[in-house]
This record gives sequence, C-alpha cells and structure tokens, in this order.
Amino acid sequence: MSKRSAGQAMAATLAAEKRRQRTFWASLIAVAVLLVAGIVGYGVYASNKVDEVNVPKGTAQGDDTGIPRGSGKVKVDVYVDFMCPACRQFEAEAKATLNKLVDEKKITLVTHPVAILDHASKGTEYSTRASAALGCAADGGKFVEYTDVLFARQPEELTPGLPNDTLAELGRGVGLGPDFTTCIESKRYRGWARHVTETASRRGLQSTPHVTVNDKKVESNSAAITAAVAASQ
Amino acid sequence: MTDHERPTSVTGTPAPDRASAAGRWRLAQPWLTVLVRLGLTAVWLVAGGAKVGDLDHSGRVVHAYQLMPYDVAMAVGAVLPFVELGVGLLLLAGLATRLTAALSTAMLLAFVGGIIWAWSKGLTIDCGCFGGGGELAAGQSPSYLADLLRDAGFLAMSAFLLRWPRGWLAADNWLRGDPQLPTGAAVPPAGWADSDDDPHRTSRQENR
Repeated sequence: MSKRSAGQAMAATLAAEKRRQRTFWASLIAVAVLLVAGIVGYGVYASNKVDEVNVPKGTAQGDDTGIPRGSGKVKVDVYVDFMCPACRQFEAEAKATLNKLVDEKKITLVTHPVAILDHASKGTEYSTRASAALGCAADGGKFVEYTDVLFARQPEELTPGLPNDTLAELGRGVGLGPDFTTCIESKRYRGWARHVTETASRRGLQSTPHVTVNDKKVESNSAAITAAVAASQ
Repeated sequence: MTDHERPTSVTGTPAPDRASAAGRWRLAQPWLTVLVRLGLTAVWLVAGGAKVGDLDHSGRVVHAYQLMPYDVAMAVGAVLPFVELGVGLLLLAGLATRLTAALSTAMLLAFVGGIIWAWSKGLTIDCGCFGGGGELAAGQSPSYLADLLRDAGFLAMSAFLLRWPRGWLAADNWLRGDPQLPTGAAVPPAGWADSDDDPHRTSRQENR
C-alpha cells in the first residue's frame, strides 16, 4: 500500500465515522419528533377527560345520559345524533310506533342525544352543540318538542350545521324562554353531551341510530322494536 | 460501499453509463425515491390531518375494531393522528428516511392486520383510515378488499423507501454532506442506488 492510499484509507475511515455519527443524530431527532407527537396526542386525550358534568333535569333514573318518557315495563333506549341522516329517517319511520308503545304504557322510551359526528360539521361540532342544546331544552321541559325541531331542521352532513343563534331561535319557537338561550351560550351541557357519547360508546354503540330493548341491541326500525318489545312483555 | 471508499471518489464519482440498465437505474433511483417519499408524505399527512380534528372519534374508530378496551382505544386513537403527522413531516423533510420508512411499514402492517381481523371477524366497519370510519349504517357494506389493496400499495412504497432511502432534496443529504440535486457534473453519490449504508459492509471494506 502506498502512503497516499494509506492516507486515503484514513480519511475514508474518518468520513465513515462522521457519517455514522450524523446518522445517529438524525435518528435521534426523528425519534424525538415522533415522541413529542405522541406525547402531544396523549396530553390532549388526558386533558379532555370529562370529570364533572352538569346533568339536565329529568334524566332517567340510574342513567343520567338519557331523558325518559312513559312508564312501561320494557325499556327502549334510542341513541341518536342530530347530524345523522339515518337517525332522521329512523325517527320518521318509528316515531308513531314508539309514541303508541309509550301511550299504551308498554315501554319507557329513553332518548340519548349522542355526538359521534362532530367531524362532519366543518369544525363547528354541530352534533355536540345540538346535544347540549337538547339538554337545555330538557331543563325547560321541552325535550320532546325540541327533539322534533332538531330533526325537522337537520342540516346536511359535512356542512357547519345550524349556528347557536338559530338553535336558540328554534327553542323560542317551541316556547323556551331566555334561560334556554343563556344555557346554550354558556355551553352548560357540552360536558354532558360528551358524557352521553362516552357512556354510549362504552355500552357498545358504534353507529347511530342505535336502539336497545331491555339493553339488547335491535335493528333500528319499528317492526324490530315492536317484535322485541312483544317478546319482552 | 460509499463514495468515500471508492478510489475514484477523490476525483469525483464516475458518471453512470446512460446506455446500460444499471446506469439508467442509478440516475433514476434518487428521483424515484423523492417521488415515493413525497407520495407517502401526502398519505400520512392526509391520514393524520383527517383524524386530528376529532380525537374522540378517532378513538371510537379504534374501539370499533374490538381489539382493545375502551380506554386504551381512546388513548391510541388520540395518539395515532399525531404520530401519523410526525411521520409525514419526517418524510417531507427527508430526515432519518430509512428509520421513518421502517415505522411507516410497521404501522401499515398493523393497519393491514386490523383490517384482516375485522374482515375475518365479520365486523361491519369502515376502516377509518382517512377519517370517517366506525361501524357502518345498515345497508352499507364494508370495503375491506379495496382498503387492503390500497394499503398494499402504500406498503410497497414504504418498502421501496426502506430499500432505497437516499434521494435528492432530503435533510439526510445535508447531514451527510451529499448534494441535494444533480447539478452540473454531480451525479447520484455512489451507494444510493444499491442503498449501501450498511455499516457492516463499511467495516469489511476497512478490514481489507
């Protein structure tokens, strides 16, 4: 080996060492970036946990996530999201049947306003706002009326939905007073909306509408509900 | 083998022979790497960006796979979009490309596993890969096959980057003193096309 090539070999070794070091630092930076990303995600998750929740008036006994109607023995739980078109269709199709079962004192109908479609309202979280507004309406004793209005005025998915002013105005239309507007503006029941959604998810809700008869999932149509109720009598 | 170890590297790497297949590949590979890198960048940024606005939903989608308890699923669902965005940004920068490509491959394999699991269990869910997702409404059928084919494409891209991580326009080049673009006589540094950053080979070289 000549002197020159020995020198070259030395330089190559040094260069290779430098490259290894730099590769190491690059890897370290990359790992740090990913760790920070993960920690941010976990931090957001941890800080978003619901601890204390305001609960509207008139929630079901032993279940503060739904508003009951009727006094029948069989419990029918209906989970709806006001941004969900299938929920509106369900409501239109099954409403008369459910009302009849309530009137005949066969069922207790518990309605849970969940918010699983917040990503479908261009960042305005319409599902949560509608659910929280319904909590306000429950305080004013207009849960049923306001539910009907929210379905009647359901916005298209992937639009911002109704602004809070409109939600308040719709409340006035069914006889809710200034307290209702204040309740919406103070976001009093946003935590409740989240609590309702979380509880429903823990119970196995993955899509809306979601209907259970005595806590067993049934298809969300009047025929299936009627059959399940009859079987539970 | 790296350019510094080739005897010719002192006077510059020899220009690839454009006529030969190997030469053409050596010229094309750094551009292909850039293309694949940017393609995967888009995949991860879009996937993460679609989920990051509604972390609760992301958690519920993870929960829908019925692979983990609710609380774990919610935490995973919250962390995942941020990691996806991180992978996207690292690929965009071209920093630690091979390591990032390895993570990208691992994550895609996990997703593929999840979809196969959901399919085999007969769950009717949308994979939620790019937002959306969760259990499907009645009447909607899942598109597992299409999801798997798409993920296979992304896996192929990740594997390409794993094999050929070095290309133009990357932070890795800046860190390691390689050119960012083929200007003038500069050609793809030796070793890129055969992706030889393997330290074992380097040491073999030194022992010679």
